Parts: sequence; structure tokens; C-alpha cells
Amino acid sequence: MNEWLTFLLLFLSPVVSSVPIAVLYKSKSWTARLPVLSVLGIFVSVVMSLYIFFNFPHELPDARFALPWIPGTGIEIVLITDYLSSYMGVITAVIAFFIAVYGLDYMKGDYRPSWYWFFFTLFTASMLLVVYSDNLFLLFVGWEGLGAASWGLIGHWFRDDDEIAYVGVPDRKVGPLELCWPPSFGGWRAISTIRFGDVPMFFAIAAIWALSGNLNISEIAWGALFTKLGAAGTIILMTMFLLGLFTKSAQLPFSEWLMTAMTGPTTVSALLHSATMVAAGAFVFIKVSWYIQPWRLHGVPGVESVYLLVLFVGLISALYGALVATGMLERKVLLAASTMSSLGLMFGTAAASYWIHEEIAGMNFALLVAFWYMAVHAFAKASLFLVSGHLIHATHTRFSVGGLELAKKMKVTFIVTVIATTFLVGMPPLTAYWVKSAMDEVMEHLLVHNGMLLPLILLLATSLTYSAILARFTSLNFIKGEKPKHEHLEGCNLMKLGYVLMVSVLFILLYRIFVNEETEIFVHAGYVNTSILVGLAILLAYVGAIYKPRITSLSAIGTFFNDRMYLPFVNDYIVPRIGFFIARIVNDFGNRAIDGFCNTLVMPGLFGAISRGIRAIQAGYLARYIKIVLGLVMIIVILVSLSTGGVI
Amino acid sequence: MSFLHVLIIPLVVAFIAPLLKPKSATYLSALAFIVPFFTIIYRLFVPGPAEILLVPFSPPIGDIYLNLDYISHAFGLTICLVAAMVAFFALPYMEHRFEEMEVDSEREFRKYIFIYDLYAASMLWLVYSGNLALLYVFMELMLITAFLLIYNYGYGNRRWVGILYLVWCAIAGVLTLAGFVILAFNSNTLALNGLMASGKGVGMIAWAFIFAGMIVELPVVGPHIWLPWAHAEAPTPVSALLSPLTVGLAGYVLLRIALIDYSFIATYRMPILAYAIFSSIYGGFSVFRQTDLKRLLAYSTVSQMGYILVALCLGPFGLIAVVIQYMSHAFGKSILFSSAGGIIAVHHGLRDIRKMGGLHDSIPAISNAAVIGFLNLGGVLTVGMLGELFILRGIVDTFGVNTSSLGIILAVVFMFILSVWYGFYTIRKVFYGKPKSTERLEISRYLYAPLYIIGMISVLLLFPPLSTVLVHGLNMLIGGVVP
Repeated sequence: MNEWLTFLLLFLSPVVSSVPIAVLYKSKSWTARLPVLSVLGIFVSVVMSLYIFFNFPHELPDARFALPWIPGTGIEIVLITDYLSSYMGVITAVIAFFIAVYGLDYMKGDYRPSWYWFFFTLFTASMLLVVYSDNLFLLFVGWEGLGAASWGLIGHWFRDDDEIAYVGVPDRKVGPLELCWPPSFGGWRAISTIRFGDVPMFFAIAAIWALSGNLNISEIAWGALFTKLGAAGTIILMTMFLLGLFTKSAQLPFSEWLMTAMTGPTTVSALLHSATMVAAGAFVFIKVSWYIQPWRLHGVPGVESVYLLVLFVGLISALYGALVATGMLERKVLLAASTMSSLGLMFGTAAASYWIHEEIAGMNFALLVAFWYMAVHAFAKASLFLVSGHLIHATHTRFSVGGLELAKKMKVTFIVTVIATTFLVGMPPLTAYWVKSAMDEVMEHLLVHNGMLLPLILLLATSLTYSAILARFTSLNFIKGEKPKHEHLEGCNLMKLGYVLMVSVLFILLYRIFVNEETEIFVHAGYVNTSILVGLAILLAYVGAIYKPRITSLSAIGTFFNDRMYLPFVNDYIVPRIGFFIARIVNDFGNRAIDGFCNTLVMPGLFGAISRGIRAIQAGYLARYIKIVLGLVMIIVILVSLSTGGVI
Repeated sequence: MSFLHVLIIPLVVAFIAPLLKPKSATYLSALAFIVPFFTIIYRLFVPGPAEILLVPFSPPIGDIYLNLDYISHAFGLTICLVAAMVAFFALPYMEHRFEEMEVDSEREFRKYIFIYDLYAASMLWLVYSGNLALLYVFMELMLITAFLLIYNYGYGNRRWVGILYLVWCAIAGVLTLAGFVILAFNSNTLALNGLMASGKGVGMIAWAFIFAGMIVELPVVGPHIWLPWAHAEAPTPVSALLSPLTVGLAGYVLLRIALIDYSFIATYRMPILAYAIFSSIYGGFSVFRQTDLKRLLAYSTVSQMGYILVALCLGPFGLIAVVIQYMSHAFGKSILFSSAGGIIAVHHGLRDIRKMGGLHDSIPAISNAAVIGFLNLGGVLTVGMLGELFILRGIVDTFGVNTSSLGIILAVVFMFILSVWYGFYTIRKVFYGKPKSTERLEISRYLYAPLYIIGMISVLLLFPPLSTVLVHGLNMLIGGVVP
């Protein structure tokens, strides 16, 4: 098959398949039936991504496909099917497809299906574009699509009329802040935060374009670019670029939007806010680092600072996310915080590539670990989100409830939860264990060769807490939670199918880790004694949290964590306060003053006065004219006498 | 049929349309702009003659001719598309307005459509005028027709607002004319090709006059104060041409003069740039405090016109951005004003944002159109993306990336961020949240279908093949002309 036809089908089939449902939004009967078409469109993308995975070249330069866009400028349509993109493409398409199948059940009877399916498929297409594009401008087109779709889907339930779609405890107030957010607010918060990062990133893209004359990630001479820019220039450029990635991936201090993004439908949380869109930030960082090859740029000033920044932003966000999740009461928000934590680990590990020279099959060890962690995380976390969607559906509450009784009634769901959590936390010998062991090795390398102890400590602290929070999720929903007030367990077979399929991929990944050539090193890392030790500690944390998900003596600190360490104050209080203060000055003083001066008071008044004066002169009375003439004569006489020195 | 004939169609139709009934007059008027629209698209792919001489004139006027380059085409296709689509939108809207004004609908529509066609046609001719004298004539015609529309069919104290608009535009016009006259006597011609060929430049004084006039028209902060009045009180179809098309044409004039002689901008780059950024951010912040939806959109125009002035200062890529930013703003703002008009028409004159909220339920089609409009303004997934990219590139080309340029970089970045902030803030306030009623209102297709066509074209213009020919053409034309 022609490669461009493949790409066209890959990107366009989801969007095109949703045009009918978008156009026929008025018809109830059509919007009930047409979602199947959208799911089929996504299925076409799955087939295409698999076709690319198995049949397309993965080595440069054959793996790059270019078409002209704006000739002579460097803005081109360039797609790449290298190792990262071909894997990530399959991951994205497959996850989107499973979630779409689940969504057929989950979104049944919703009040605006056309909106949902249109944005869902637009999102899938945008994400695939981000994954496969090599040209930074093309990538940014997809990137903006992610932002727009995310806004649309978070605010899907725009009526704000159902408490079940809110985030936060109703009526809970801390100081002037209400810690409860409706969906329409969640959407606004998401797009405003994301835009705050996107524009700087866009600037960085423009700057790369201007300075290197090229926009293709795999072709840019990164080393030369950074050398040309110098230390300050490099740091400015890369910080701007990273702002886009950090906001998208909800790293500190931009994490708040991800928490309130949980106001969207659960399918959306699963696809966008755990598996793909938020991972796009980390993915782009991995991809860019892949071609920057920072480990070869040790002589270039500025690069080290950039990677240090990412390392610590990532790891600190990871710990913050994990800690905050320990206090979370809501199912989805707990998972959101843990997602943020995982993304932090991806950033941190990928950033370590600066110090790691080890290459396996031509690929950097640290980047490989970060990427594989992303893959494992995507499937596991998406399964957990889908599970919690089903639980919300079944128990009619977004707070964690449910005991063993519920677990017996929802056996499949329970088993999926156990598999997804244990496979993700890094418990030996399950999938993530091997990746996490390699991650331990990366951070250990930083300690041994570069004398940085903190990364390793942060990683270990995060890993243990992370294990505890996922165990807590399992325990509160299936083992030790309160009995739900409401149970609705019938049907929902497509939902079950969705998460069973999703979780089963974790076994495939486990298999791939053992058979793939490049992941052999993960297996080696898993057999190292310290890794086994860490793995056992994680196991202990998991079991401990299952047994005791709530520690009452720590409830004060739990509340502090549940309020996300009061980070919402930045988003909801400080920033808007400043903004509205400026807006007030500008409008209530600036505009009013100018308006008063030019349009309503001063100038019209002045003209009015002059006009009245002139008209008063032309009154028609002879006496007045004579007075004026005499007056003028007097003035002339005085002027003349002054100029001649008083001699007439 | 040459391009001249195509351009004459709207002028002729302006005189024929009043003879017809409202519906057929509307279709004829729209067609009069759709034909040139497709001709322009065709000309983008198959360039025809670059100039058509109308009348040779003696100095100091110089040849009067039509200028058919890519800049004119870009502006021209925007004007044609928006004018045609807004003509459709106006059909139900103006009927509603006439009923509200308690006048004979059919009789009044004849007057209205005549002025409307003349208004839109004068803008189209303005951008194809190859001679500044001809350009000035159409500029005045455009101002007067717009004034008449506001004066006759506006809201509130429409006569006062109409005169306010006229006075401000007269100030702009006189200043510009003074600049043109000085230029004519210095260079002995007002023909653009003659001015380019003469190599004498424009001269600082003439430049200063034209600049002063055009920033009143544009407008930037200070003179901007006429704009909220005019945009808010004009009948919505007029707002939907006035803000997207008319004010931005000041940017067009500045661009033409800058292409002849860039020295004025190069000399005063920093103050102009600072003023432009300030103006844009000022406008953006003003949006947050507005309670009248149309006034809100007017302030957003101030913010967007700041982009154009910023772009003007940024070398070749900046000048390309002027063109693209004009297009992107025109598409976005015409959609937004029309959707504000839709709310007015459907909800009986509702303009107060404080009384809105949850409107999506009753008018989803208009609400979604407004989203597309704000995406245009923010430069998300529409042709505006290229505009933003070129502005940012211009910043790097002009100032580089280092600690001393960081201030400018951050200011421009913030300027872009602000657009999306106020856009989605407004969307949420107007359309989302708890609805007052979930009943879906049946509304005329004319009120929303044209908006989607504009939105679609705006998206298509980002991708090949349209952007390939258009931006490439602009790049060939502008790149290298200015330092």
C-alpha cells in the first residue's frame, strides 16, 4: 500500500467518520446509532498503525516521509516512523480504540453525543499527528488539536447540573476558596493552563526555525544550534520549549488543571488524562532528546542546566503527585494525581539521559526506560480509569466506596484492578518491575558517577508511595471501603470488554520485554540484588496499604494532601486576583478616562463652548458689532503704539 | 473575462439588488462576492497579469491601475468571503431589526442592501487599487457607507454614535490624505509601482502622517475609544464587516507603504513595537470587564489589531504575518459578531453577558460557531497559527534569543496567551454553566450556516494546497523586499 495513503487513512479516518454524527446532531435516532461509525474510524487507524509498525522502515533516513507544505521555508509535512513513533502510534491507536468501545456503553443516553464523538476522534487524530510528525510545526498543529479537544471533552457536561461530574467536596471552603469545581470550569482551567505553556513552546519552535533553518526534529543540528545560542540563549529557548511540555504533562506548578480535568467523562480521563495527551509532553521530550543526544553535548554550555531542570521538576512532581494522592477521596482524582506522578518519573528518567552514555541497539538507555515506562503506564492507568468509570456508574458516587461484597459482585472488575495496579507499581516479577528496576539503575548511575543522591531518594520515595496509593485505590473500592448506598450492576458488557482488553496488553508488554533485543537490559536490571530489594519494599507497601488504606491519626495531613497542598490558591486566587485588578484599572480607569476625554465630556464640551462663543458673537445686534469693532481698533492701536515705542 | 470585470460585478450588483425582493437581493449580493472569491482562489494557483491599467494619469497622480499581487488577493479573498457570508446572515437579522424599528421591512431593505453592497465593494476595490489616490477614494466611500449604516440602522443612540464614528474616521482620513499629498509632491506619483520604481522612498513626514492616520483607524489604545461605541451600536451585520474587514484595512495601507519604504518602521521600531504590544495587552485586559457582548468583541478587536502593528515592525516574516493576521482576525471576528447577532435575534435583543450563561442548550449551532471564532482569534488550528508563527519568527529574526530580548519575547508571548484566555473565559460565561432552559430553539439556518463556511475556509487555509500557494506567493513577494 502506498505510504501516503496509509498516513491519510491513519489521520483522517477518525475525523471523517465523525462528520455524520456531528452534522446530524439534532436527530436522536441517528446520534444513538452513529457512534459505531466513529469507533470503526478509530479501528481503521489501529490497522494502519499496525501496518506501519510491521511494514514500514524504522531506520533513518528511510523512515522519514516528506511532502511540501510551504515551499522554501522549512515548513513541510514530514512524518517519521522511527522506533519511538511506530511504537507510540500503535499504543495510541489501540488505547483509543479500546476506550472507544467502552465508550459505546458508557456514553449511551448522553445529552450531546455528537460533541463527544467529534472531539474524541479529533483528539485521536491529533495525537497520532503529534506521534508521527517529525516537523515541529506539523507537530504543533496536532498539539493544538490536543489542547482544543481536551477543552471540549473536559467541559463536555457543560450544564454543570450533575454533582457526579464535579471535582472536590461540595460546599468545602478554605478561606476565600471553594474547593469544588464544575465541568465548565475544568475545561476553562485546562485550556488556560495549557495555552500558558503552548505559546512559549510555539515561540521556541519559531526560534529553532529561525536559527537552524530547519524544523525537522531528526535533521536539526541541535549541537550547533545550542553552541550558536550560548548558555543564556539555550536556557531561554529550552525553558520556553519545556513550558509547553510541562503544562501539557501537568508538572509542577501546572498540575491543577489535570485534577479538575476529572470533571470530564471517564473515557476522556482514561484516554486524554492518563494514557496519551498528558503523556504527549513526556513523549515529545523523549523524542526530542533522542535526536538532541544530550549525552554527546557535554561541552555545550547551557544544556546541562536544562536537563537538571527537567530532572528535578520531573522527580519533585512525581513525589508531589504521589503524596497528594495518598489523601485523595475521589477515585478519579486519586488516579489523576498518580498519573502526574508517573509523568514526573518519565521526565526525570528521560532527563537523566544527559548523564547516561550507555547505548543499547543504538538507543540511549535512559530514554528507552522512560519510553517503556510510558507504555506500561498507559495501558495500566487507562484500565484503572475505565474501572473507576464503571464503579462510578455502578455506585453513583465519585468517592471511593465498596467492600469485598462489591468485589464479589464485580469479579472481573476486581481482578482487572488487581492486575493493573500490581503490574504498574513495580512488584516483582510483573511488567513494570523490569522497567522500574532499570529506572533504579539509571538513578543509581547518577549517584555513583555524578554524585547526585537526591534523584535516587526521590525515585525510591515516589515508588513506595505510589505502590501504597494504588493499593489504597484497590482497597477502598473493593476490600475495605464503606458499603455503597447504591448498586447498579446489570449490563455494561462493552465496558467490561474495554478494560479486559486494555489490561491484557500488559501481558503482551511483559512478553515483549523478555523477547525484545533492546529491553534485554531491563531483565538484567531486574536480577540485580538492590532491584529485588526495592521490589520487595514496594510489595510490602502495597500489602500494607491494602490492609490499612486509611490511617485515622494522620487525617489532618490527609486533608492537606486532599486539598493538594493548597496549590489551587495559585490558580483560583492569586492569578485571577492580579488579572482582574489589571482589568479593572484598564477598563474602569483607562477606558473611562479616555472615553470621557475624547467622546463624552472634555472634547465635546470644549467644542460646544467654542461653538457657543462664536454663535454668541453673531447675535445680529448692531451695538454688539460696533463694540467688537471698537475693541479690535483699540487692540490694534495698542499693538501699534507698543511696536513703535509709544511714538505715533 | 478579465479580473477587472469580476471586480465590477459587486459595483453593478449594488445598483441592481435594490430592485429585487429581500431574499433574491441577498442571494444576488452574496453571489456578487462569491464569484470574485473563486476567481481569486483560481488566480492563486494560476497567476494572471500582475496589473491592469485603468487610466494613465499625469503627475503627481500617476497611473491608475489595479494591483493584482498576492497581498491584494489575500485581502481580497477575505473580504469577498466575509461579505458574502455576512450578506446571508443579514437576511433574517435585518428583517428582525426592521421589525424592531417598526419600519416597512421591504422598502428599508432596498436602501440597506444598496449601502451594504457599496460598502463591501468599496473595500474590495480598496485592496486592488494600485494607486493611492484611487485607494483614498474607496477608503472614503467605505467610511461614508459604514457611517450611513450605523446612522440609519444602529442601536441605542445610533445617530450620536454614527457621527462619532464619522468624526474619528475623518481625522484618520485627513491625516492620511495629508501624507498622500506630501508623498505625491515628493515623488511625483501615487501609483504603487511608480513609487516602488522611483526608489525615493516615502519620506519621514509623509510616513508620519500616514502612520498617525492609520493608527486612528486601526485603532491602537488612545484613539481606540471610538471602536467600542461603533461596534456595539452598529447593526450586527455591519459590526461583522466593520471590525473584521474595515479597521484591518489600515493595516493593509501601512503594509503597502512599508513595502515601498521600510525606513520609518526601522527607525522607530522600538517605540512602535512597545506601543503595539501595550495596546494589544490593554485591549485584552479590557475584554474581561465588559458586560455588553458586542462591546467585548470590540475590545478584542483592539487587542487583535495590536498584533497587526506588532507584526508590521518585524521584518519580512512580520509583514507576511500582517496579511495572515488580517485574514485570521477577519474570519474569527466575523463569526463572533455574527454569533453575537444570533443571540440578539433569537433571544430578543439579549446583549448583557450578566444575563447569559448556559445558552448552549438553546442555540448549540451558534455556540459552536463562537468556539470556532475564538479558536481563530487564538490562532488554534486555523490560519491564524501561521500568523502567530511568523510573528514569533519575526521576533527572533529582529531581536534574537538572548537575555536582552527576553522582555520583548515574554511580552509578545503573553499577548498571544491573553487572546485564548479571554476567548474561552467569554465562551464559558456566555454559553456554559447552568442553563436557564434546556429547550432547543428553532432558528433560521442563515444565522449559523454561513459562519461554519467561514470557519471551514479558515481551517483549509492552514493546510495545503491553499496555504502552499498563498503563503509561498506572499513569501516571494515580501521576502527580501524589506531589511
